[in-house]
Amino acid sequence: MFAEEKLIPVPFDVYRFDPAQGGEPRYQHYELKLAPHTPVLSGLLKIRDEVDPTLALRYSCRSAICGSCAMLVNSKSRLACRTPVGPEVAKHGRVVIDPMRNQPVLRDLVVDQRGFWSNYRRIEPRLLLDPSRPMPEGRPTQMTPAQVDRFRETPRCIACASCYSACPAVEADPEFPGPMALAKLYRFVVDPRDGAHDERLRKVQLSGLWLCLRCHLCTEACPKDVRPSERIRDLKELAVRSQGATERGSRHAVGFLENIAEAGQLNEMKLVRQTDGLVGTVGQLGQGLRLARKKPELLKKPRTIDGVEEVRKLYEALQKDEEVPL
Amino acid sequence: MQRHDVVVVGAGLAGQRAALAAAQAGADVALVSKLHPLRSHSGAAQGGINAAVGAEDSVETHIYDTVKGSDYLGDQDAIEFFCQSAGPTVVEMEHFGTIFSRGEDGSLARRAFGGAGFPRTIYAADRTGLALLQAIYEHLGGVPVTTYEEWFLLSIVVRDGRVQGIVALDRRTGAVEGIAAKAVVIATGPAGRVYGRTTNAHSCTGDGIAAAYRAGAYLKDMEFVQFHPTALLESGILITEGARGEGGYLKNRLGERFMSKYAPHVLELASRDVVSRAIVTEVNAGNGFPGGYVTLELMHLGREKVESRLQEICDFSRSFAGIDPVTQPIPVMPAQHYMMGGVGTNIRGETNLRGLYAAGEAACVSIHGANRLGGNSLLETLVFGKQAGTAAAAYAKDAPDAAVTPADVDRETAALHALEDRKDGESPQRIRADLQQTMDSRVGIYRNPDDLHRALVEVRALQARWRAVRVEDRSSTYNIDLTDALEVGHLLDLAEVIAVGAIARTESRGAHTRVDFPKRDDQNWMRHTMARRTPEGPELSYAPVAYTRWEPKERVY
Ligand SMILES: Cc1cc2nc3c(=O)[nH]c(=O)nc-3n(C[C@H](O)[C@H](O)[C@H](O)COP(=O)(O)OP(=O)(O)OC[C@H]3O[C@@H](n4cnc5c(N)ncnc54)[C@H](O)[C@@H]3O)c2cc1C
Ligand code: FES
Repeated sequence: MFAEEKLIPVPFDVYRFDPAQGGEPRYQHYELKLAPHTPVLSGLLKIRDEVDPTLALRYSCRSAICGSCAMLVNSKSRLACRTPVGPEVAKHGRVVIDPMRNQPVLRDLVVDQRGFWSNYRRIEPRLLLDPSRPMPEGRPTQMTPAQVDRFRETPRCIACASCYSACPAVEADPEFPGPMALAKLYRFVVDPRDGAHDERLRKVQLSGLWLCLRCHLCTEACPKDVRPSERIRDLKELAVRSQGATERGSRHAVGFLENIAEAGQLNEMKLVRQTDGLVGTVGQLGQGLRLARKKPELLKKPRTIDGVEEVRKLYEALQKDEEVPL
Repeated sequence: MQRHDVVVVGAGLAGQRAALAAAQAGADVALVSKLHPLRSHSGAAQGGINAAVGAEDSVETHIYDTVKGSDYLGDQDAIEFFCQSAGPTVVEMEHFGTIFSRGEDGSLARRAFGGAGFPRTIYAADRTGLALLQAIYEHLGGVPVTTYEEWFLLSIVVRDGRVQGIVALDRRTGAVEGIAAKAVVIATGPAGRVYGRTTNAHSCTGDGIAAAYRAGAYLKDMEFVQFHPTALLESGILITEGARGEGGYLKNRLGERFMSKYAPHVLELASRDVVSRAIVTEVNAGNGFPGGYVTLELMHLGREKVESRLQEICDFSRSFAGIDPVTQPIPVMPAQHYMMGGVGTNIRGETNLRGLYAAGEAACVSIHGANRLGGNSLLETLVFGKQAGTAAAAYAKDAPDAAVTPADVDRETAALHALEDRKDGESPQRIRADLQQTMDSRVGIYRNPDDLHRALVEVRALQARWRAVRVEDRSSTYNIDLTDALEVGHLLDLAEVIAVGAIARTESRGAHTRVDFPKRDDQNWMRHTMARRTPEGPELSYAPVAYTRWEPKERVY
């Protein structure tokens, strides 16, 4: 079990850049010999302690709980302290270290997280009480284990920003608060103590919820298995249920669903109308006509497919299954 | 220059609770932290927080267990107040939004922890610290407090017999700035990195304790260092006591549950010092596994229980040691875990300096005396964080205006430049490694006078080397080489106080075990060690222990 692990050569290529000193970003090469299970962070600290004390990075707990050491390891958002070097070397031949994405570099691997935190603050991350439902005097609120389960894995979030770094919607649109903020919002929306569920859902519909591209890269990047993309999906469902489809993204999703349930396939004309409303649809008329010239079948009402009953049953079953209890 | 009524240094549980209390009392509050608040080491606490809320439990037994656990060095008036505050504190944190684990009936779930008479430890899976830290951070987000994120405390300014504020380094820009404040609360947390084998984070370097000491505050009971019995062999990462609370076994190479020899009644649930000593005794007697360790077994609990109740432990063992606790024993050894000592305070968090307060692991009230019970320190951060914040705000209300002068700031700037301008000299990392080696090997669980004296000589030699330390990094942005150097300077001050206190205390009590004085000596040593800084090193004096109702008894489990 603790048989001496053989040391392997580990070539590191580490991103270096100090904007204050000017110059261009570059990769600096370091050669270490490490046991394969050694975390990347231990390698970087060995570089700092023994080779080059000028390397800048954030770290503290070295046990995947403080969220300081997120960075790109061979292009993937990872916590350096819980990513062993062995598999990286086996797969890529070396360990290439870059700072996280979607946050400006302050120096080397240290990024400016002010944007990340202000996006998090946008969702009002604290219990907002309903004055008509105050906390019980002098004793804790009752909460069953089943109610605790509704938080799913969101209490495990360590705010490391790996998801934020991996998210293409964050990169594309400053309106999008990012996966971590939305997972946090979900945490408050399912909290039986919180008194602002509807208000939260109303606001988030209008401030970026539907910008999520459902690529699941956040869930892939999360070192704590918080699964932000799944919670964003839940939020969308909760938002529509609580508020109706009040916004383009949600109207599109709901229209899509209704189309399929009705006919088993999409009615593109109807979907545009459902998403953008009558006025909005007029705005898209030009594009619609161009499309229709190429594909005239789009103008016809699609026929109901044969197995539509099956499709409807499937929907019903799925809906029951995925019900997010409030 | 910035100006506030109260500056709280440190944004872990103690600091944030202090800031909240001071703000609620109407003070203009600044919260200064070298890490983002959510990255504080409080987040690493796994096991839980104590409060005697069960029907079969009582505040009275919590008090008794804490007094006994402290080996009668805890101040009983403070312990009474502390235990009485436990229930309301936990309820308050629940109301702030903490997501605790629950029993079937919807009440707060509890587990048994070492040294407690009943299941008294309230928890949130095995990430209680994170759950509390998130909740207080979220709650504080709704309160007006100015936060200085990633600002590093350099010194506490004292003039005219009272505190005037602090000087700090903005790590992002490299700027050295003064923050004037009538009251300063030190809540900078642990100093575990005095040791190499420690469960503490890299950031736990006792900065605030050292700054208070340099400013003239008394450090109390610093020789009492708790070692956690079960840390992962290589990295020192903690395997929580919860693992034993849930029914884990400790075994030696012979397959024996050896705790039956040392604590026949409570076995693995004996208090930490007892278990740590037992492990070292076993390994020294040749009963350890090759390489010198014992194992913690969870296999008999079954996959379901291990994976649901002890999630993080599973994760830790798998990620950091390549061990699957569902099917394999976990190799463990004791590691430094907690400093019972710290900046000496009374029950209101006041120190001997006017306007200086302290709370949390950086402080010593003393609740824990010679040995802390698991689950009591999270509670301490919140109970005494609130006390210190409240007292600091009350004091600031009537105190005269405070000022940090340009000369105060220039002095610190010059000191930093001196480190960076040296052409040659040793690296701080080198000095740190040697210090940790000294403390690990000579000031550990079993202490003998020879090693202690040698440790002191070595620490003083290291202090001399530190005066010629050289910082190679010249950047103004996020210069860790520079903060490393400062932190090592702090660790050296504290190591010296620990060694001096341990040499002087010729008895064994709680976590302090002298092989040449194996018995507790109430006649001579039922008193707190107080260390004050002088140019010649720490000067010791002693203060009485406060008694109320509990007569010292021998501690057996
Ligand atoms: C692994 C582990 C598990 C534990 N488990 C438990 C448990 O289950 N139950 C329990 O009761 N206790 C437990 N403890 C102990 C408990 O967690 C700590 O005693 C407690 O959290 C300390 O809190 P604090 O607020 O005093 O310090 P910390 O949370 O460490 O906060 C210190 C703060 O000070 C700041 N700081 C430090 N230096 C400077 C500086 N120079 N300038 C500016 N800011 C600075 C830091 O940024 C940080 O914000 C555990 C400890 C460890 C190490
Ligand atoms: S160092 Fe704390 S998460 Fe990696």
